[in-house]
Amino acid sequence: MRTGNHIESYPRHIALSDNPVVWFWLVALMAAMIVLPAFSGLFVLGLAIRILIAAVGAIGLNLLTGSTGQISLGQSGFLAAGCYTTGLLITDYHWPPELALPMAGIVAAALSFLVGIPSLRLKGLYLAITTLAFSFIITQFLLFAEPITHGPYGVRIEDTVLFGFDLADPTTMYYFCLGILALVTLGVLNIMRTRVGRAFNAIRDQDIAARAMGINLTTYKLTAFAASSFIVGLAGGLMAFQFRFINVDIFSVTLAIEALAMIIVGGLGSVAGAIIGAVFIILLPEVVGDAIGLLPAGISDVLSRGALEIKGLLIGLVIILTLRLEPDGLMGVWRNMKRYWSRWPLSV
Amino acid sequence: MDLFLNLVASGLVIGSVYGLIGMSFAIIFRTTGVLNFAQGEVMMLVAYTAWTLTHTLLFPFWLLVPSTIVLAALIGMAVERLFIRPMTGQPIFAIVMVTIGIAITLRSLTTLVWGHEFEGFSVPFSGGVVEIGPVFLLTEQLAVLILFAAVSLMTWAFFRFSRVGMAMRATSQDETAALLMGVDSRRMSSFAWAISAIVSGLAGVMVSVLFARAPDMWHFGLKSFPAAILGGLDSPIGAGFGGLIIGVIGELSAGYVWNGLKEISGLILIIVILMVRPYGLFGEKELERV
Repeated sequence: MRTGNHIESYPRHIALSDNPVVWFWLVALMAAMIVLPAFSGLFVLGLAIRILIAAVGAIGLNLLTGSTGQISLGQSGFLAAGCYTTGLLITDYHWPPELALPMAGIVAAALSFLVGIPSLRLKGLYLAITTLAFSFIITQFLLFAEPITHGPYGVRIEDTVLFGFDLADPTTMYYFCLGILALVTLGVLNIMRTRVGRAFNAIRDQDIAARAMGINLTTYKLTAFAASSFIVGLAGGLMAFQFRFINVDIFSVTLAIEALAMIIVGGLGSVAGAIIGAVFIILLPEVVGDAIGLLPAGISDVLSRGALEIKGLLIGLVIILTLRLEPDGLMGVWRNMKRYWSRWPLSV
Repeated sequence: MDLFLNLVASGLVIGSVYGLIGMSFAIIFRTTGVLNFAQGEVMMLVAYTAWTLTHTLLFPFWLLVPSTIVLAALIGMAVERLFIRPMTGQPIFAIVMVTIGIAITLRSLTTLVWGHEFEGFSVPFSGGVVEIGPVFLLTEQLAVLILFAAVSLMTWAFFRFSRVGMAMRATSQDETAALLMGVDSRRMSSFAWAISAIVSGLAGVMVSVLFARAPDMWHFGLKSFPAAILGGLDSPIGAGFGGLIIGVIGELSAGYVWNGLKEISGLILIIVILMVRPYGLFGEKELERV
């Protein structure tokens, strides 16, 4: 029986994980992800790409909402900004895709100052409304500024060759997104175990107390906004390559709510939670759709016609049930299971 | 000048709708401290139910109004009882997230049951034109203005004079003291949800009379946030008049500046207002202890 996990030195305290078992399974997971395209069909690969991109976006949102405690309903606006930046730079200005993709993140981060600076004085609900308003303004701009953004006609992206790899090919796209997700995960995990990350958590827990401890709220809130928007914008840039035809309809309020559902279900403030949440929210409608297919023909016909509504219904219920039953999300469930197992005779 | 007056008139009409929904935001926020992101969806559900009463069950108009009010109250109470009551004691952040969950659930449920079609909503008073000086108004537009005035007056009187209204104000000021004076704060929360569902439900019926009973009606909920913020989230009457201002500004900016501004001028306005006054134009600054 273990008596507890005793951490005795600072390096061990901030290590990504001090448990060799975790490293073993992580390597195993990575290996499985790398060999996946060899065994899977196009449908599974498409689903995997959607999950990878959603996970990048969810990690970005989680950095702001989960780790810094700034509720943002407007990250779909930054997603749109990133997506359109990449698309327009490639199509209208003939930039090489290698440069257009990072620009998505940079433009989104720059825009985040526009919403971040007015939001410095706002908290909680008011911040949520302002960010929501901002995402509306962005989509409205994209729709009406036709000379710049093609307005309602959308943007078609022809040039998808990055460093000699064509992202129109699903397998290449899959590996590319996997690489980006790995980089983003590592980056955010590293931010979270430095001074900056601890300042984020302090602001989330009590911003006035954090300020009294010498944390500059302006700097750190803006850093959180910029870092989060950069990652979300990057996810938007990836979406441009995923769809290769983009218009404003993709970036609805529902998308923002879906993203919120991902981080709530996974567990607020945890990078692993964001990834698990993304997997859960993307797979849930698919699994339920398959389950509906197994029902008697009459019922399944009726239900499959309302597939979009059922998806919305499930996402809403998942948000409500998670908050009611396990506010820490799936990561909380996992932690409880682990505690139960490792302290078995004494666990409650 | 004629253009200006007509723009103001149509701004007041659409502003009345924003105002009614803003009022229902404020009623819930004032009593329970929760901002209900599902207000637009509650409105949509009530409007759809009322549509079924008129067009499928063929209720006459005099019966439609009271039955819509009763149904709206029941819907509001049911939502509160099912989703909000069990969250008592949780942080406000979690409850607001729950209302976002309710929003998408109700929205999907409504389109699942009623489908995606746009349907007209006919009432006995629609179709006529009223001419007031240079301003032309449809009779249903005039009806919206009258409804707004009536509801504002009734809400004001309710909070000012009725026993329940006063108990609700007491709960919002100091829940513990209100409890000690014998006010059942859980019942107040349930009342608040019922009343706000009635107010926004009436707005929803008017939206479907003015435009159509459509699956994107819930957008009106989001568009009414500026109204509630402008007038102060804790003042129903303020939120109502905030709606009028937002409506007029929206129409004027669309008419004189740029058509794309119609939907977003209110949003831009509140971003600016919140920059200057982070607690809304008439809201009070909260003192916070660490």
